[in-house]
Amino acid sequence: MNPKLMLDIFKTSLLARRFEARVIQMAMAGELPGSLHAGAGQEVCQIAAITAMNKDDYILYGHRGVAYMIARGTSLTAILADIAGKEGATSRGKGGVMHVVDVPHGILGESGTLGGGFVISVGVGMALKRRYPGRVVTYFFGDGTSNRGTFHESLNWAAVQKLPCIYFCENNGYAVSVPTSTSTAVPDISARAAGYGVPGVVVDGNDAAAVYEVMQKAVERARAGHGPTLIEAKVTRLFGHYIADQQTYRPDAATVIATKDPLPKLQQTLVNAGVLNDTLLAQLEADAQRQIEEAVATVKAAPLLAPETALQDLYA
Amino acid sequence: MSVITYSKAINQALAEEMERDENVILYGQDVAVWGGIFKVTEGLRDRFGPERVFDSPISENVMVGAGVGAAMMGLRPVVELQFADFIFTAGDEVFLKAGMWRFMHGGAYKVPLVIRAPSGGSGFGPEHSACPEAFIMHAPGLLCAVPSTPADAKGLLKEAIRLDNPVVYFEHKLLYAMRGEVPDGEYTTPFGKAVVRREGDALTIVAWQDMLRRTLAAANRLSKDGIEVEVIDPRTLNPFDRETIIESVKKTGACMVVEEAYRTLGVGAEIGALLLEHALPYLDKPFKRLAIPDVPLPTSQHLVNFIVPSEEDIYKAVKELVA
Repeated sequence: MNPKLMLDIFKTSLLARRFEARVIQMAMAGELPGSLHAGAGQEVCQIAAITAMNKDDYILYGHRGVAYMIARGTSLTAILADIAGKEGATSRGKGGVMHVVDVPHGILGESGTLGGGFVISVGVGMALKRRYPGRVVTYFFGDGTSNRGTFHESLNWAAVQKLPCIYFCENNGYAVSVPTSTSTAVPDISARAAGYGVPGVVVDGNDAAAVYEVMQKAVERARAGHGPTLIEAKVTRLFGHYIADQQTYRPDAATVIATKDPLPKLQQTLVNAGVLNDTLLAQLEADAQRQIEEAVATVKAAPLLAPETALQDLYA
Repeated sequence: MSVITYSKAINQALAEEMERDENVILYGQDVAVWGGIFKVTEGLRDRFGPERVFDSPISENVMVGAGVGAAMMGLRPVVELQFADFIFTAGDEVFLKAGMWRFMHGGAYKVPLVIRAPSGGSGFGPEHSACPEAFIMHAPGLLCAVPSTPADAKGLLKEAIRLDNPVVYFEHKLLYAMRGEVPDGEYTTPFGKAVVRREGDALTIVAWQDMLRRTLAAANRLSKDGIEVEVIDPRTLNPFDRETIIESVKKTGACMVVEEAYRTLGVGAEIGALLLEHALPYLDKPFKRLAIPDVPLPTSQHLVNFIVPSEEDIYKAVKELVA
């Protein structure tokens, strides 16, 4: 894979990781509402997949982290404003960080009910096919969400109508606290693709290059009018389901953080490839820090959304 | 003016709007090749092609949810749920997605979706006979139309398709064969404007769809007894024309609602509360509801007849109230 692209993926992942850490730190200090579901560990996979899409494609996403939006180009200030309920929030205080929306960057939003994005994606696919042929939509969801009935209805519909939809499952092994082995009858979510006559692919979600490659194939297939692909990336959730989750159900949590973090792995790959060194790394860290602190300062200075905003935006 | 059926009026509205705007698409179970189980959409697939009129899988969640997604992206989908009861099958998609998705995302897009929901009737059993419009009226974000005549069936549907907000459009199964005058040429019927179907001073009755038909029949009998009731057809429940009802009650001093739905927290309950808030000084008789006792609709006709308000029930209730 092109080392320049790999470096871009690393750079965005680093920014997402540091931004999220700052948000968690502010939430713990009581400066922000703590409703974030940390995406640490999954952002390399999310960003690699999004990198294989075009700027005018669309995404619907799951609730884990904010890397999707950062990868698509939404400003940190807007995301932070969504968390804080300040002016500049993309969902104007209605959805918070779970429902960041940025249509010009192809981010169509998130369903509060898990798996609600499946059905929306089918409609987006129907509209793209008729109005914007050649564009695709990807729905990112988790292994737990794949047990919703909407998964079945939507994959079948998208497959029979050959819609330009990509279904990207981030399998991190847990549905909140419940391990996949307890909740799901098959070890690989991708095996379910057979029921819809579409390709089902498993990929190591901690391997950015591998994710990029399978995503590229799925995007090409969808663009060409051949219909959806179900991709299952085996990923690592480094932290709990939400910020204050003690993970009493997960005895190996500490080991996972120490050994399975894909970010240092990607960093090493880039160093080995000769496109990253200590100087550049320090510069990337400093850039990330600067962008984050600018956003923090802007949002701290921004006014809270007017209470009357609660009465707006229901009807067009 | 030409005289056509309620069913044909819906078909004409769909055809005219599909002709006018290529972004209008129509789908649902059996709507395309077969023309719908109630034959409302006959001929539309042949006229507009399988890309715009198509049969969907039995997947109510996607039917409605995809309608929301497609509407967000600039199409104007008209989705036929085969029976209005299936609103609950697609509950997430109707109430949380169509109703709230725009709000939850800060108004980032419009959702010009129409959900056609054949309601009411009898002999279809508990899961195929309901008139669940009160649930829709209760839910934020969903407009709600309840046409009672062929002219309104056409005008309200054309308007629904053009509106930029999601509409649940109830078409009453027992009205499909009803014939009535429909204006020639282009017209739409605005939402939020009730119509007085019959003027009178003894009592205000609010009713719609098949209950309106029964109420108007009862009103004819009452007239022969010297009792003139005023009958209001709300036409849409969201937006809801409160003014017309309040003004009528100021004149008549009494109000009854006839509803083909469960009594508790039905549309009638909302109208009762409305009058308590805004017209109490004008009421000189107790507010009255005729509705289905809080049981599901059975299948056997004689059981249905026992619980759904009939012309006779309405006649007797008015006589008691104005006596």
